[in-house]
Amino acid sequence: MKLDGSAVLHGDPEKVWAVITDPAVLARTIPGCETLEQVGDDEYKMNVSVGVGAIKGTYAGEVKLADKQHPTSYVMHAAGAGAPGNARAQVTITLAPADEGTTNLTYSADAVIGGPVAGVGQRMITGVAKRMAGQFFKAIDDELTGKAVPAAAVPSAAAVSSTAAEDVSGKHAAPAAEAAPAVFAGRAGAAAGTSGDAQTLALGAVGGAVLTLIGILVGYRLGRR
Amino acid sequence: MTTKLFGEPVRRREDARLITGKGRYLDDIGHDALAAAFVRSPHAHARITGIDVDAALEVEGLVALYTYEDLAGPMAEPLPVLIPHPQLHAPRTGYPLANGEVNHVGEPVVMVVATDRYVAEDVCDRIVVSYEELPVVVGVDAARAARSCVHEEIPDNVAARHHQETGDVEPVLADSPRTLSFTQYIERSACMPMEGKGVHAKWDADDDSLRVYTSTQASTSVRAAIAAKLQLSLDKVEVIAPDVGGGFGVKIMHPWPEELLIPMAAIALGQEVKWSEDRREHFIGSAHERQQRQEITVGYDDDGRITALDVHIWHDNGAYTPYGIIVPIVTATQLVGPYALPVYRVIVESVYTNTVIVTPYRGAGRPQGCYAMERTMDRIADELGLDRAVVRERNLIQPDQFPYDHQLTFQDGRPVIYDSGDYPGLLDKLRTLVGWSEAEQLRADAGARGKLLGVGMAMYVEGTGPGPYEGGHVQVLGSGKVLVSTGLTSQGQGHETAFAQIVASELGVPIEDIEVTTGDTRRFGYAVGTFASRAAVMSGNAIALAARGVKEKALRIAAEVLEASPEDLEIDEGVVQVKGVPGTSIPLRTVAVLSNPLRYAFDEAARQATQFAGPGDDSKPPVAPGDAPGLEHRDYYSPIRSTFASGAHAAIVEIDPATWEIDVVKYAVVHDCGNVVNPMIVEGQVHGGVAQGVGGALYERMAYDADGQLQNASFMDFLMPYASEVPDIDIDHQQTPSPLNPLGIKGAGEAGVIPGTAAIASAIEDAVGRRIASMPISPTELYDLVRNDSSEMTAAAQRRAGTGVMA
Repeated sequence: MKLDGSAVLHGDPEKVWAVITDPAVLARTIPGCETLEQVGDDEYKMNVSVGVGAIKGTYAGEVKLADKQHPTSYVMHAAGAGAPGNARAQVTITLAPADEGTTNLTYSADAVIGGPVAGVGQRMITGVAKRMAGQFFKAIDDELTGKAVPAAAVPSAAAVSSTAAEDVSGKHAAPAAEAAPAVFAGRAGAAAGTSGDAQTLALGAVGGAVLTLIGILVGYRLGRR
Repeated sequence: MTTKLFGEPVRRREDARLITGKGRYLDDIGHDALAAAFVRSPHAHARITGIDVDAALEVEGLVALYTYEDLAGPMAEPLPVLIPHPQLHAPRTGYPLANGEVNHVGEPVVMVVATDRYVAEDVCDRIVVSYEELPVVVGVDAARAARSCVHEEIPDNVAARHHQETGDVEPVLADSPRTLSFTQYIERSACMPMEGKGVHAKWDADDDSLRVYTSTQASTSVRAAIAAKLQLSLDKVEVIAPDVGGGFGVKIMHPWPEELLIPMAAIALGQEVKWSEDRREHFIGSAHERQQRQEITVGYDDDGRITALDVHIWHDNGAYTPYGIIVPIVTATQLVGPYALPVYRVIVESVYTNTVIVTPYRGAGRPQGCYAMERTMDRIADELGLDRAVVRERNLIQPDQFPYDHQLTFQDGRPVIYDSGDYPGLLDKLRTLVGWSEAEQLRADAGARGKLLGVGMAMYVEGTGPGPYEGGHVQVLGSGKVLVSTGLTSQGQGHETAFAQIVASELGVPIEDIEVTTGDTRRFGYAVGTFASRAAVMSGNAIALAARGVKEKALRIAAEVLEASPEDLEIDEGVVQVKGVPGTSIPLRTVAVLSNPLRYAFDEAARQATQFAGPGDDSKPPVAPGDAPGLEHRDYYSPIRSTFASGAHAAIVEIDPATWEIDVVKYAVVHDCGNVVNPMIVEGQVHGGVAQGVGGALYERMAYDADGQLQNASFMDFLMPYASEVPDIDIDHQQTPSPLNPLGIKGAGEAGVIPGTAAIASAIEDAVGRRIASMPISPTELYDLVRNDSSEMTAAAQRRAGTGVMA
């Protein structure tokens, strides 16, 4: 199943790059992101709760990335499996400078949805995924334009990260789960290098498209109850 | 003897269950199933430019959404053309869900599955489909004019040009002493069963098997269609027709998109899914029939004998042709009725319109053919100043002319050869029954009451019981219960009773012991379906043959036990006995036990049987070669060709010249369906048919506007006769048994509806003296016709006017 989309972000590619690679930002901008945790080089785990109409629930996903062309593009691979089915996706993300110092971010996902959830119909899956990708990029853009009130989609994460935003300049924004802050702090402290940046960038870009696809799996399970 | 029930007016055994709410209809099944609903096209002809489901995603309880792009493999291909024909040169069918284009209002575009139907409908309301509208073709005349087309690669809108002729008609017409040419029109109507279509599907993921209940007239064929379209092995699919609340033809069409989509969703979701059609869906999403423009030229002599008949019909087949050209063929071949026509040519052009598809509705093209032929007879009589009955009489096939070959090819591809009949006999009985000779007196009496009275008649011959086959299975259990099954389906015709009567008579068992199952592929896998008045003829004979097979085996087994020869044995009241030797007998149920050499004494029947079981013969195997355990037999009936029932109807109408209300004050039916299994059921079929005939003549029409919107798609606006509009019906039976089948029976299911429009049009014309060339006719239309000076007055009316009788 193909899933393409784009977003115009208010900031040049480098600025977008900087924002979009801040794990704290990602934690509060990825719709429904509860925790994200590095599990190895270029490998992350995250818990996401997805909540759209018939499709809602929490799901654990894994992300790996490759072909980094900093700061313009890379490819990431994401996979998730759950009781109602599984999702596998390869997403190509591209950043390109656009008018008035903005950046045109495009993503192109090729996802394989397996298991019973695949039966709900393409428009249902892509409809939810596109909507959540939109929420994600809107939240990212709000970060860029400074009117960043973190995504209301996830009250728990929102609450925590907004209080966090008041102390150490938002760097410490912590999602609901306990494990997460340590992870962030560690990585943020290291702060080093494109690898970390690219890794987090990967997480950011995947948030919109893939995690929602994965989230659908759980939502499907709840939806059928 | 109570077991000789063939021909007896046995009360319908199914009715107590059906009329006390104990029926099990489609919507009674699957209470916990997810519900499906459909977004259907609001346009008659349009391209789909977008489908926006975003707003629908919010709805709590939404489970799945399907559009064309979710269809894979055979499901993504057009629906099948069930009955291809070389003269159907441009067949077209739709897709289960619209593939970019819609060709009639009501065509399914999106299927929604949700936790219940309410939620599913809410979701449908929030789905926004955008369309680019295209020019619309509505009605047979517009299709013929072809200023725009339904399918762009078919600019003339002609799907088929069906042509049959029995000789060179033109020279004969040229040499005829007299000729008449005229055109007439008949409107669309529809079956309108009380229960619409409906499908319930349940997928067993562990067993990889699918069970589908559908309100169908052809469960075995729906099963084959589902297996093929969803790429399942036939043995993994069961299709069951539960109690069906009426069919009348619309449910012989298959597979309906819903019959494929609901199982598809059930498999995809791993859950039960159900859809039951609502009334508006049935109006715009099922099938209609009847609309034709008929151009007729007839040659005849001064005595009213027809020399040649040339008929050119334009037939509206709606947006697609999934059922081929069956209806045009039936019109073309059944039009000739009971008459000997020296030369006959018929051309039926079946044309596309942006309206609901046309598939058989009770009568299936016969009412239109009857309307053409019988109104021709009326016109000849009018021109010559002859009695309409006399003109008919002079053209009838005579009893000594059977078998009579019309040199035509019927819907089943077999020759139209009438097997038996007595048409002059029908006409004589009808004249007596309706009091034809007193018509002028009745007219005068009514005139004195200020009413316009008219009488009309119409005759028909109906090809019934077409093949290729039906099967029957009869099994006697050790309990004495007799299980009967056939694959053909029931929609309330009384099959449980009629088939049981046949078995009771053939096998000599009490009807109380007999259980009949129809339309369940778990019980019988091979069947064709219920249509063309074929159930009694086809399954009735197949079941009779199966019962005879059981009887033969029972007598063989009993003969050994009773040490008698089978010829000396008879079965009565479920007991096999030596003729004329009371006491020397054995219950049939015991024979059933003996038929199985494995005799574990699970029950009393088995214990009893042991006393009869003789010592085994060590030189023979327990089951002889060619024999089988069990007292059961399966057999099939496959006719050489259809058998032809016949009848004659007469109507007396009274019209109030103040309101132009048309009142059918008397309706007479003489009916010949060969040997009768159950006269009460046959009369019930005739009554129901006449009711639909009256509806077709006076009330039922599909009010499409120029944009292809059906403006009367509800029971508030679509008129059907109530009991108050259906006249009392006088019935007389004639029986000319069919030589073609073992029981000598002919079909009776559709007969009642066939002559209604023709007979009532004839009676109205006789009453008002104006030519009736378009049916149905309403009081308003009649008023306009009579007030219109340019409308044609009949010669009879002019003659009456000459004699001072008010026309």
